Amino acid sequence: MAVGKSVPMLDSVARVTGTVPYPSNLKLPDMLVGKIFRSRVPHAHVMKLDVSAAERLPGVVAIVTAADFAGDDKPNLHFGSPIQDQPIVAGDRIRYIGEPLALIAAESAAVADQAMDLIELEYEELSAVFDAEQAMLPGAPILHEASPDNIVRHSKLRRGDIDAGFAAADEIVEEVFSSPMAQQASLETHVATARWKEGKLTVWTGSQSPYTVRRVLGAIFDLDLENVRVIVPPLGGGFGGKGNVRIQPMAAALAWKVGNRPVKLMMTRAEEFVTVTKHAAKIMIKSGVKFDGTFTAREVSIYWNGGAYASSSAHLVPAGMLRAIGPYRIPAVHVDSYGIYTNLPIAAAYRGAMSSQGVFAHESHMDTIAHLLGIDPLELRTKNLLRTDDLFATGERLHDIHFVECLEAAAYGLGWHEPLQSDNGTIKKRGRGLAVMMKNTIANSYSECRIELDAEGRVTLFVSTVEMGQGGHTALAQIAAEALGVPIEVLAVTGPDTAETPPDAQTASSRSTHMMGNAVLDGAASLRQQLAEAAAPILEWSPDDLSVADGYVFVTTQPQARIPYTEVLGRNNIDALTATGKYSTNEGKLDPDTGQGISTPDWHQGAGACEVEVDTQTGKVTVLRYHSASFAGRVVNPTLAGLQNDGNVIFGMGASLLEEVAIDGGQITNPNLSDYMLPSFLDTPVELKNVSLEEEGSSFQGIGEMTLPPVAPAIANAIYDAVGARIRDLPLTAEKVLRGIQGRTDHER
Amino acid sequence: MSDRTLTLQVNGRPYTLEVPSGQTLLETLRESLELVGVRDSCGIGMCGTCTVLVDGRAISSCLTLTAQVENKHITTIEGLSQDGQLHPVQQAYIDHGAFQCAYCTPGFILSTVALLGENANPDDAAIREYLAGNLCRCGSYVNILNAVRACRTIDD
Amino acid sequence: MSFELLQPDSLPGALKALAQHGDEAKVLAGGTAIVLMLQQKLIAPTVLVSVGRIPDLAYIRSEPDGIHVGPLTTLRDMERSLVIQTHFPLLAQASGEVGNIRVRNQATLGGNLAEADYASDPPTALLALGTQVTATSLRGERTIPLEDFLIGFYTTDLEPDELITDVFIPASAPGSRTTYLKYRSRSSEDRPCACVAAIAAFEAETCTDLRVAVGAASEVPQRLPAVENLARGQALTDELIGEIAAGYADNIDTLEDIRGSAWYRTQMIRIHVVRALEELRNGRR
Repeated sequence: MAVGKSVPMLDSVARVTGTVPYPSNLKLPDMLVGKIFRSRVPHAHVMKLDVSAAERLPGVVAIVTAADFAGDDKPNLHFGSPIQDQPIVAGDRIRYIGEPLALIAAESAAVADQAMDLIELEYEELSAVFDAEQAMLPGAPILHEASPDNIVRHSKLRRGDIDAGFAAADEIVEEVFSSPMAQQASLETHVATARWKEGKLTVWTGSQSPYTVRRVLGAIFDLDLENVRVIVPPLGGGFGGKGNVRIQPMAAALAWKVGNRPVKLMMTRAEEFVTVTKHAAKIMIKSGVKFDGTFTAREVSIYWNGGAYASSSAHLVPAGMLRAIGPYRIPAVHVDSYGIYTNLPIAAAYRGAMSSQGVFAHESHMDTIAHLLGIDPLELRTKNLLRTDDLFATGERLHDIHFVECLEAAAYGLGWHEPLQSDNGTIKKRGRGLAVMMKNTIANSYSECRIELDAEGRVTLFVSTVEMGQGGHTALAQIAAEALGVPIEVLAVTGPDTAETPPDAQTASSRSTHMMGNAVLDGAASLRQQLAEAAAPILEWSPDDLSVADGYVFVTTQPQARIPYTEVLGRNNIDALTATGKYSTNEGKLDPDTGQGISTPDWHQGAGACEVEVDTQTGKVTVLRYHSASFAGRVVNPTLAGLQNDGNVIFGMGASLLEEVAIDGGQITNPNLSDYMLPSFLDTPVELKNVSLEEEGSSFQGIGEMTLPPVAPAIANAIYDAVGARIRDLPLTAEKVLRGIQGRTDHER
Repeated sequence: MSDRTLTLQVNGRPYTLEVPSGQTLLETLRESLELVGVRDSCGIGMCGTCTVLVDGRAISSCLTLTAQVENKHITTIEGLSQDGQLHPVQQAYIDHGAFQCAYCTPGFILSTVALLGENANPDDAAIREYLAGNLCRCGSYVNILNAVRACRTIDD
Repeated sequence: MSFELLQPDSLPGALKALAQHGDEAKVLAGGTAIVLMLQQKLIAPTVLVSVGRIPDLAYIRSEPDGIHVGPLTTLRDMERSLVIQTHFPLLAQASGEVGNIRVRNQATLGGNLAEADYASDPPTALLALGTQVTATSLRGERTIPLEDFLIGFYTTDLEPDELITDVFIPASAPGSRTTYLKYRSRSSEDRPCACVAAIAAFEAETCTDLRVAVGAASEVPQRLPAVENLARGQALTDELIGEIAAGYADNIDTLEDIRGSAWYRTQMIRIHVVRALEELRNGRR
C-alpha cells in the first residue's frame, strides 16, 4: 500500500542537490531581460509618458506602454479574473505606488536599468485613500468610475431573527479586530518567461493557476486557447501569492512587442511587495450569549482592503464572509463582507486565505466571552462547536465534522488541564490559549488527470497540479500507485503544461489532494477496467470476472490464473494504455441576498493550542509549546502531512508576531526581509507537535492550511491568560503587549 | 565599466572568466557557471538561499563581489556529492523529509556542512542557533533539526 | 554597478589609492555592507578600494595593557577567539550577536566600525570598553577614541583618505564584570531594538568603576559619563540601579521605527540597563 507511507518526495535527490528546474532557472536561447518602470505616486492622472529616449538606448529591444494597446487589432489592455479592471500597464491613470507604467525588454538587466532613467513621466496627482473604511465614506477619492462607492464586492449572510437573538441574550459582547497587510514572501519571487512563435504564445511561470493564466492570456491577445501554452515547473513556494494571474500578462506583452525572442521577467524582493499582498482586514464582531454559554446571535462586519484592482478579491470576499463566522451553533447570524478598492497594491490569497483574519477575530472573541462568563475556553467551545448534521449559518447540513476532536487533540496534547509550569519569578509569566477554525474550499470546482501505463510497466500521471513544495505530486503518485497496485517506484508525475496535462481549477485552498486525488482514483479505475478488458481474451474470461491488483490481472475466483500488466500490454501489442480521470463538485450556490445555500463540498477543520511566556517588562512573547491538529480524513503521506501542519504553524507565527507591511502615504517602507521579518529557526517553538486526524472510510481531505488560522488567536488568548492583556490588532508585537499590560495594571490578576 | 579576468576555484575545479567589477559571486555562479543551486531571494544576506562555502566557511554570495574570492576555494551544493553519491548531509535531509519547496535547501545543507566542520556534535541549541540565519518559508525546521541531529558523530 | 575596483596588495598602495580618489572612493573589506549598498544603489562610488589583499591586517594580539585587533579580523574570528572570550567576554558576545553566521564570516571589525551602523552590536560593546581606533593616511597616523570616532548616524570622523589600521581595546581593571544584552523586539534574526554593554569593577560590594553604553536606540551608541559616575564608590542597590537606568532612559533621544516607537525604546533602555547592572552586581563576569 503506497498510501499512508512516508515515501520521500519523488524528486528528493534533485531537491538536495540543487537541481530542481525552478522557473527562475529557465534560460532560453536569445532570451531578453524584462524590467518594469513603476509609478512613485499612489494616485494620479498620467499627462505624458515618453519612452522614446529609452527606446533609442543601445541594447533596449522593446518598450511596452499602454499606447501599444490602443486600437481594435491590438491586445486588450485590461485583464482580471473575474473582473477585468486591471491594466497590464497603467494608461491615463495611476492607482498605486509601484504600478507598472512601462515594460522594458533589453539585452541585459544593466541596460534595462539605464533605460529606466531615460523614461519621462508627467502626471497630476490625485488625492488618494489607503484605508478601507475611509474609502467607503462619501467624498472619498474614487478609484474606478464603475464603482463610485469603491466597493469591489459586498457579500451578505442573513440567518434567523438577529434582533430577537440579541434581545434574548444575557450579555452582548462587541469587539473590533484588525490584521495588517502582509506579504506571502515565497523565497522564489514571481517569475514568467514568454515566447511568441508563429502566432502561438508559450509562458513558463511560477503560478498556482496555470489554466487561469492560459484563459486570461487568451482573452488579452484574443487567441484560441490551444495557441496559449502555460508550463509550470516546480515552484520555490506559492502560499497563495502565486494564484490567479500576476505578472504573466506583462511578460507576454513584452514578448509580443519583441516578436521573435523570449523575454524573462523576474521580480526583485522589493517588487514582490507591490506584486501581491495579503488583505488587511478590520472585523467588527458582536455576539449575544446566555449566562450558560449558549449563543443567541452574532453579527459580523468585515472590511477587506483589496488594493487598487479587484483581482482575487471578487471571489475571496464571499469566502472570507463564511470563514469569519466560526464553527459554532448560533441561531441568528448576520454578516456583511466588503471588499474595497484603495490606492495600494492588490491583495489576494495568503496561506490560510481569508481565514486567518476572521479566525483571529472570532477565536479571540470566544475567549473574551469565556472570561466574561467564567467558563473555561475549551468548555465554551466544545459546548457550542458544530457537529455532523448540524446546520451552519448558510443553512447547509454539515457532514464529516470533527471540530471537537481537532480542538481536543490540540488541547490535550498541550496538557490543557494540567497545572502551568511557572518560573516562580514575577517578570516572566506563562499562559495558554487555543483556537479552532473552519474553512470552506473552492466550490464548483473541477480536476482532471490522465494516467498512462506503458508496456514496461511504467506509470505516468499527467496533472496540472502545481508542485510548490507541498508534495502534491508525490501524494498523487502514492494515490495512483495504490489504486493501480503498483510500487511507487514505477510512478512518474508530469505537469502542469496546458499542452500536455488536462485542466485543473488551480492549486489553492488545500484542494488538490482531495480533488485531484479523487480524479486519480477515477482514472485508475478506468485504467483497471481497460486492463481487464485487454486481459480478458488472454485469460479467456469475461472482464467482469477479472480483478486487477498488485500488478496483475487475475481471475477473481482463481487468483492463480493471472498475468502481469506488462504482459497484458505486450501480448496485445499495446504501447501504452491511457485513462482519463475526472472529479468535480457542484456545490457553492449561495443566495446573494441571504447567503443561504450549500457553500462547499467539504469543510476544512483545524485547531491549535499553545503555551507562551510573556516578559512583562518588555512585552516580548515567546511561544514555548504549540500543538496543532487538522482533520485529514485519510493521510496519504504522514511526513508530508506533518510538514503541512508544522509549516502552517510556523507560517502563522510570522503573521501573528512578526509580519506587517508598513505603509507611509501609500509607499511600502519595509519591502525587504530585514525590515519585514519571516520566522526563523529560533522563532520556532522548541516543542512543536501536530496530529492529522483520520477516520475509517474517509477520503483524502485537504490539510494545506488548517493549522494556520488558529495560530494568532491561540497566541493572543495565551497572552491574555498570562498577563491579562487582550491584543486585538495583529501582529502581536512586544510593544502592543507591553502597552496592554501597563494599561491594565490596576486590575492585574 | 571594468571587466577583469580572474580564476575561481569552484568545487575543486579552476574556472577562468571575465567578470565585471561589480558582479557578485551569486551572479557569477548562477549566470556564468550555471550553478543554479545557488539562489537569489532576498539580496541582502538575510535568507541564506545564496549560501556558498568559501574555504569551508558559509557566506552570502549575494554580498560578495566575485573579485573578492579570487583563488579561494568555493563550494556550492553541486560540489557536495562525489561520484554520484550523495553527501551524508544530503542523504539525511532526504531521510528526515527536511524540505518542502527546497528553494532554501542547498543553503541549509551547506550551512549544516559548515556547522559540522566546526563542531561534529552540536546540541540542539547549537544547531538552531547556527542555522537561524537560513530561512525556510515553508517551515520545515523541525525536520531539518532531525536531519542535522542524525549527522552528528554521536547521535542520540 | 559601474566602478573601478582596485585591489592593492600593500597598505601604502591602499593609502595611495585613497589619497588619489578621495571622496569618489569607498573601501571594500568584507563587503556585507558595501556590496549591499551597491546592490541597492544607495552608493555609487567610481572607485572601490578592496583591502582584502593587504597582508597582516587580520590579527588579535594580546599585550599587557590590552589587545590590538586588526581591522580585517572577521567578527566570527573575534567571536571565537579564546583571547577575546577570556579577557573581553563582552566583545566576544557582541561579535557573536551580529546578523547571522554568514555575515560574521565576512564582516570585518574595520568595516563594522567604518559603517557606523547605529544598530550594530560591536560598536556599543567597544564603546563601553574604551576602544581607540587608529586611522592611517599618507598624511600620517592618528588615534581616535571611539566616542569621538562615531559622530552620527552612519557617520564617522574618518577622512576619505584614511583607513582604519588598528583597533586597541584597553584591558579592564582586574576583576571587572561585563555583560552585553541585545534586545530584539521581533524575530531572532532582527536587528536590535536596543542593546546595552556594561562593565563594572568592584571592591567588595562597592562599585569602583562603571561604564555603560546603549546602542540601537538612537542615532549613535551612547555613554553617559555623568550617569555612570553615580555608581562610583557606591554599592549597586536596586535604587541606584534604577536611578542610573532612568538616567540613560531620560537622556537618550530615542528613534522610532518598525522595531519600536520612541516611547518603547525609552522603556527598553531603562529595563535593559537595569537588567545589565543587576547581572553585574550579582556576579556575572
